[in-house]
Amino acid sequence: MRRTDILVIGGGIVGLVAGIDLAENGATVRIVDAGLNAGTTTNAGSLHVQMQSRFMQLYPEQVPNVEAALPFYKAAADLWAEIDRTLGPFDFVRQGGLMLAETDTQLAFLEGKARREAAKGLRVEMLDRAALDRIAPWLGPHVRGAELCRDEGKLNPLVANSQMKARAAALGIDAVTDRIDGIDTAPGGLVARGMQAEYRAGQIVLAAAWGAGDLARPFGTALPTRAEPLHMNVTEAGAPEIRHLIQHAERSITLKQLATGQIVIGGGWSARDRGRDSPPAVKLGSFLGNVGVAGRLVPSIRGLRILRSWAGMNTTMDGASAIGRLSGAPRIVAAIPGDAGYTLGPLVGRMAGAIAQGRTPPEDPAPFSPDRFAPVSA
Amino acid sequence: MTEIQFSFNGRQIRARQGQSLASALAEAGQLALRKTAKGEDRGLFCGMGVCQECLVRVNGVPNLRACMTRAAEGLAVTRQDPFPQLADIPVQAPSPELIRVDPEVLVIGGGAAGLSAAIAARRAGASVVVLDERKIGGGQYYKQSADAAVLDAQQAEGADLLAQARERGAEILVGVELWGAFDDLLFLGHQDGVPLVARPRTAIVATGAYERPVMVPGWTLPGVMTTGAAQTLWRSDRTLPGKRIAVCGSGPLNLQVALELARGGAEVRLVAEAAPTPLAHAKDAIALARADPQLARKGLAMLLGLKARGVAVRHRTQLDRVIEGPTGLLAHFRGPGGRSRVEEVDALCMNAGFEPQNEILRLMGARMRYDAAFGHLKTERNETFETTVTNLFAVGDCAGLGGAPAACIEGRIAGRVAAARAGHGNVGDLTAERGDLARHRRFQHSLWRMHRIGPEPAKTIPPETLICRCEEITAGQLRAGLSDAPGHIGTLKRATRVGMGRCQGRYCAPVAARLVAEQTGKPLEDLSFFAPRVPIKPVSIATILATQEALDAPD
Repeated sequence: MRRTDILVIGGGIVGLVAGIDLAENGATVRIVDAGLNAGTTTNAGSLHVQMQSRFMQLYPEQVPNVEAALPFYKAAADLWAEIDRTLGPFDFVRQGGLMLAETDTQLAFLEGKARREAAKGLRVEMLDRAALDRIAPWLGPHVRGAELCRDEGKLNPLVANSQMKARAAALGIDAVTDRIDGIDTAPGGLVARGMQAEYRAGQIVLAAAWGAGDLARPFGTALPTRAEPLHMNVTEAGAPEIRHLIQHAERSITLKQLATGQIVIGGGWSARDRGRDSPPAVKLGSFLGNVGVAGRLVPSIRGLRILRSWAGMNTTMDGASAIGRLSGAPRIVAAIPGDAGYTLGPLVGRMAGAIAQGRTPPEDPAPFSPDRFAPVSA
Repeated sequence: MTEIQFSFNGRQIRARQGQSLASALAEAGQLALRKTAKGEDRGLFCGMGVCQECLVRVNGVPNLRACMTRAAEGLAVTRQDPFPQLADIPVQAPSPELIRVDPEVLVIGGGAAGLSAAIAARRAGASVVVLDERKIGGGQYYKQSADAAVLDAQQAEGADLLAQARERGAEILVGVELWGAFDDLLFLGHQDGVPLVARPRTAIVATGAYERPVMVPGWTLPGVMTTGAAQTLWRSDRTLPGKRIAVCGSGPLNLQVALELARGGAEVRLVAEAAPTPLAHAKDAIALARADPQLARKGLAMLLGLKARGVAVRHRTQLDRVIEGPTGLLAHFRGPGGRSRVEEVDALCMNAGFEPQNEILRLMGARMRYDAAFGHLKTERNETFETTVTNLFAVGDCAGLGGAPAACIEGRIAGRVAAARAGHGNVGDLTAERGDLARHRRFQHSLWRMHRIGPEPAKTIPPETLICRCEEITAGQLRAGLSDAPGHIGTLKRATRVGMGRCQGRYCAPVAARLVAEQTGKPLEDLSFFAPRVPIKPVSIATILATQEALDAPD
């Protein structure tokens, strides 16, 4: 197989944007993706900027990393707005995200959170019920107020992914379906060992999400990537009236309406991992729990029917991205969002592309160096 | 019979008590029931709750299937708009009730196979609950009258099975829609929004089949419906789908329904049968007559009946397209040698084979294999019709097409075995049942050889033909999507939205799977189709809330 300047491992949003960026800057690029549970299969299309309460509860030790990276999230959402103009449109809407509170404790929590986020430059404000009624009259009676983060938004990932793939194809990027089992160094470059073929390249952009840990480990970097299968649901269409991305101060919920009217409900409920050869299985508790929260917070959607549920793969590490060359194999550039993969994907992809080509990345990659992980003991 | 009245978009519609909304509206000449996102009219199509095309609003509640909803005095029915305003949707409080059933044998589907299984299991002493999606038991083959009047021997046979099941003490719950099936035989459903939780000892799936359409440009127009939908209108409600009718596709159901509608007073202009004339299958005809002389005579009587009424049955004749004319649907047919003919009709009925309703079985992980002759998945079963999932049985057409007589025998065997599994005696001698089953299968084998039972190759479908009715995606768009996202039905779905609509891929999935198979050269298998997912049928968030609250509540 023809050698390329760059091999991108992982054809999800990170790999696609990295590949497009590299090809637009003159590199020959091949993207190889394992398919099934990999490659831009199950994104939900929420653009998260404010700290997610679910994440703060689940991984309190990672909160400092997330908080430090808030400007990075904002920049990532800004980049989505830009590529929606240049490569879109993707049904991109940026009316902001509402994090709802039903109790005084929750309101107090959100107020504290909003102050911390404002200090990091986010456009946040607290809304009382009267203010909410003006922009979200469909909310249920228990909702007392909300934090509005104007930097947040949503888009249709099906549209975005397919247009991005079309752009990659138009740039002559070779897209291959294969699972990469390992990477070897070779004179003047690298060889990625796939199940079907070997892929030679000058450099590799490692955009393999939860699969990246195994590929980086032999080079001494212990990227702690973990697959986190998450439950999702979608309803039949209603009039597109819910403009905001909806979350909750305590409950696990993300809710948004696509421009085509369907409502996508998620929020980090777990699914059952069935290994890399089968899609994750839906858990009854997640289905009932997740839809139940949505139906209580937004009673006017109760008359709509759920058409489908599925599970997607999120990737977690330590709450921050890993972007940059591996010290044990400098021809490999890590590109792992580590959280909110779809939101951060384009920015992480562009930064990795810039690093690979020696250009200045759009954001400072220093805080995201993969070197922060302890070296693997031999 | 009690006369009632309801309104449709303000117009008063007369109906008979028990009649479905779809039937009363068809009788009133109202075939278009909703608008799609692209502004197209749609109406009754499958007649059995599968296609989700006949959605209407009833007293403000959107997304109700007119074919599954009974007319009632004073209902305000309106045309369903594609995007109901959230503020206009009545907020439903979760139902405080819960139906809990924990029988030794749960039978899912109250048709030929299911009722036979229920009777056999009760006879052996097991506790039995039958769940049926329709408001009237009996299933698609025995289609019972809404007013319990008996039309013919076939209905009488069904009425008898229903009566036997009830007399023997099987609990039959009608109007129950199952939406979830989980490990360890946990089934979730609802009856008009009241949650149902079933945790049986054994389960017999007898969900039957739905009809494979003839996909041509115009097959989504109101007035074009499956042959079974037209039959339900007639047999259940004594409603004709229209005055002038044509029937197309292949198989004996088309002949039977053509004759029934003709007897009911319809003007049947044409029965277009894709297969060559039975005279070309002399060997099969003889084998068929040998296997079951009585059924063979019934078939012959049907052909003679059609002839006596002057109904033309044209073989090797296929539907090309349907166009809306000023005074009816213009159905264009192509006959032998490319001869074309156009029939102007009020209703066009189509059936080109069947697709098993195997969603529950696939969801629970029962192993499937693809049957190339029928063009659909068959469920792997042992000699007592148990699937590869312990204590889960599959009988009748849901496991692969076999016809009603075979379904009854399979049901009787599985019912006995499931009862024995639950501790009720021994199965006993099955030799006689197995002999009957073998004979019926010989009959079916010869019968199907005389018709075109397999699907058409996907590559021959004209590009402008809608494949995904729900998301309004054409064959041409699917092919374009296939070149963008090759290799798998899942990637094709994400590239084109095929299968993302309300019918959950029931009509488009077989075509999409064949397109991918034709492109990749890979043989069809279970994984070629959309991954089975909860919910099996669309279920309202109000019902899910009610289910969650009921399950969380202490017993």
